[in-house]
Amino acid sequence: MNQDPALVSIMRQGPYLIASIHTALDDSQMVRFQHDLVDKIGRHRSRGVIIDVAALDVLDSFGSKTLRNIAEMARLRGAQTVVVGIQPDVALAMVLLGMGTVQVETALDLEEGLAYLDDAVAPRAAVDARDGRP
Amino acid sequence: MTWARRTFPDVSVTEPSGADAVPPGHPEVSALIPIVRRVVGSRVTDRTVADDLVQETLVRVLAAEGRVEAGMLESYAIATARNVVASMWRLQDRARRNQHRVVDLRPPPTPDEDLLAREEQTAVVRAMARLSQRERELLLAHEVSGRDTRTLADESGSSAGAVAAQLNRTRARLRVEYLLAVEGAEPPTDRCRPVLLALSSGDRRRQREVDADRHVVECELCARLSNPLLERGQPRDDVVRIPIRTDADIVAARRAAREMAARQGFSSTDLTVVATAVSEIARNIVRFANAGVLVIELLERPHAGVRMVAMDNGPGIPDVERALADGYSTYDGLGLGLPGARRLMDEFAVASEAGRGTTVTMTKWRRGGRP
Amino acid sequence: MNTETTLSDAAGDFPTLDRQDEEQLLPQLVAHLREHRTRLRQEWAGRIGDTRLLHAMTPQEMAAETTSVYDNYVEVLETGSVEALQRYARDLSERIIPRGVETHEVVGIVLLLRDVLARSLFEKYQRDFGLLNRVLDAYEPAANRIANTVAVSFVEERERVIRQQQDAIRELSTPVLPVRERLLILPIIGVLDRERARQLTEQLLTGIRTHRAKVVVIDITGAPAVDATVANHLVQTVDASRLMGASVIITGLSPEIAQTLVTLGVDLSKMNTIGDLQGGLEEAERLLGYTVTRQEAPAPR
Repeated sequence: MNQDPALVSIMRQGPYLIASIHTALDDSQMVRFQHDLVDKIGRHRSRGVIIDVAALDVLDSFGSKTLRNIAEMARLRGAQTVVVGIQPDVALAMVLLGMGTVQVETALDLEEGLAYLDDAVAPRAAVDARDGRP
Repeated sequence: MTWARRTFPDVSVTEPSGADAVPPGHPEVSALIPIVRRVVGSRVTDRTVADDLVQETLVRVLAAEGRVEAGMLESYAIATARNVVASMWRLQDRARRNQHRVVDLRPPPTPDEDLLAREEQTAVVRAMARLSQRERELLLAHEVSGRDTRTLADESGSSAGAVAAQLNRTRARLRVEYLLAVEGAEPPTDRCRPVLLALSSGDRRRQREVDADRHVVECELCARLSNPLLERGQPRDDVVRIPIRTDADIVAARRAAREMAARQGFSSTDLTVVATAVSEIARNIVRFANAGVLVIELLERPHAGVRMVAMDNGPGIPDVERALADGYSTYDGLGLGLPGARRLMDEFAVASEAGRGTTVTMTKWRRGGRP
Repeated sequence: MNTETTLSDAAGDFPTLDRQDEEQLLPQLVAHLREHRTRLRQEWAGRIGDTRLLHAMTPQEMAAETTSVYDNYVEVLETGSVEALQRYARDLSERIIPRGVETHEVVGIVLLLRDVLARSLFEKYQRDFGLLNRVLDAYEPAANRIANTVAVSFVEERERVIRQQQDAIRELSTPVLPVRERLLILPIIGVLDRERARQLTEQLLTGIRTHRAKVVVIDITGAPAVDATVANHLVQTVDASRLMGASVIITGLSPEIAQTLVTLGVDLSKMNTIGDLQGGLEEAERLLGYTVTRQEAPAPR
């Protein structure tokens, strides 16, 4: 946990991790965030990850790529990722930049993100429970 | 410096925040603190002075809160912050106009004052020696003998205005020569002196002619000397320079670009578009070059817009055409840097020279600005 | 207008006006206009009434406006500062344009004022024909400058108002309609240009956030044609909506437009397109998890 608590927060909620970015991050802070988050996914054996980016003023190619990386690494560790809170301006700028088709699940806000994970993860969690897995 | 720190009766000056200038019950104004701090911070380097200005701005915004249309409070705050900074500059400027007579070239006092004073004197002497006979005489007649420009003009048969201009040029040269003498350095290239001189005199046109921004990126000595020169020059509100070296500078660059575009009345989407493009371009500098600079300039003709010029001293792009094609990338990115930024902008040009560096010039016009 | 030409022709017989002359005469002239302010203003207001200019205004408004214009006019004559007048003219225009006052009316009243004042100068100086000519030579260029400024400001202000109205109409013509919770419809009607397409995208994206929409139906039945620019915007809109967590369904895609899109290289398979609006709405409800009708199966969640 070497991430400055003022910049991001990663909270655990049941089988999910909720990561909020609180301010504009530079590239190295973004990379550190990625490490911390992926690390925690492994440690907590999380089934779902929500990344709240509502506070980001810009999602450029690096930011988008980092989100995609996190989602991919989370998938390899058995967790679904959903990015929430992309603002209208940011969404349009991303599309104009050419990042519009980035392969990450998205939802409007935290509430929607949780609903999405419940839909996407819950059935599998039920199966796991039946098979006696954690 | 005659600019005194301001204190407010209800605010403790030791508290470097600004938040306490806002009494509870004004969530809109409190929410403006970060942006006000950014606006002020980007113009004023001294922290305590910046804090005072932030507070002064907030006090003004609070007073005006009732009069300002909903949704306009942020732009009002930005404008107020700029005005507050500008009026400080005016005060400083007035002080400075008289300052050259006594303390213009004196660094802040330190324990080694005596030794420094001697070095200082040598530097001044060496700098004076580099001026022409005529320049020296003029300067001494005015600064030391205290003869006014009109008298000097009558003696030489020219006008007071011409003499004043000549004095300004001479002072600009003296500053350059003094800094060089203090550094004990001889400029490495022929371009250094003209560039430093243009910076010292604050002459934008001349700076463009000698391509000063570009040179400062390339020449280490001039980069170092340009700081005291630029700080001293007339502060200009419609051009900002952001040095780009580190990751954090990328964030600073896009913030500055967003703020400049906001002053031109860009829509909120276009603010983000501009910030995104700047982010891509600034990242290229950090990744591929040692150092660079982003110059953001407000345009008024043919209508409102923002021009951003990013210059670096990197290896240059061997094939610009290819770099502008989608999918081109030499680092672990998505290859969207240049082509992506181009798609976001109205005008976009790349000039690159192997071994010398790259210049990206991009312009965004305010939408609906065309008649 | 004609008086002006005759007078300046006649002026040829007299010593030409120099700068000093103007500087000496203008203060005299201004003093005269100030002294007889009430009478001259009333005379002017009367002339305006006679020519049936500004009939959209009430007598009180007339009195207020004429007083104000008169004072500004004299002030500009005195100071030569056109800015004050410009400011006033813009201000005036802003207030009277919505009431349908025409350019010729505004220009008309200023020319009337110019003539009323010229006549009073004529009466005052008529005994000394030489002096009269010099007075008029000093007065006329200044007066014409004022008339010009007012006319230009008025026209500019009017154009600005018209542009504003056009913007407002544009906004009205692309409404984002919340149909039910979480569902928006965006009917596109009329020709889309670059500017409007962009505006529409922005409105939709903001709408998604405001209404917390999960599904958006873009109905393009009313769009007569789609070119590369519009197609591009459509694709961008779909992508940007998705980034905000909303799915887009496109309805009303005519075979011609579908053909165009394919020709332009748009990958229709990545877009959720449905023939008509009704079908689109049913699909939307399905996505939202509502049962549409008749089905025996319960909603998925």
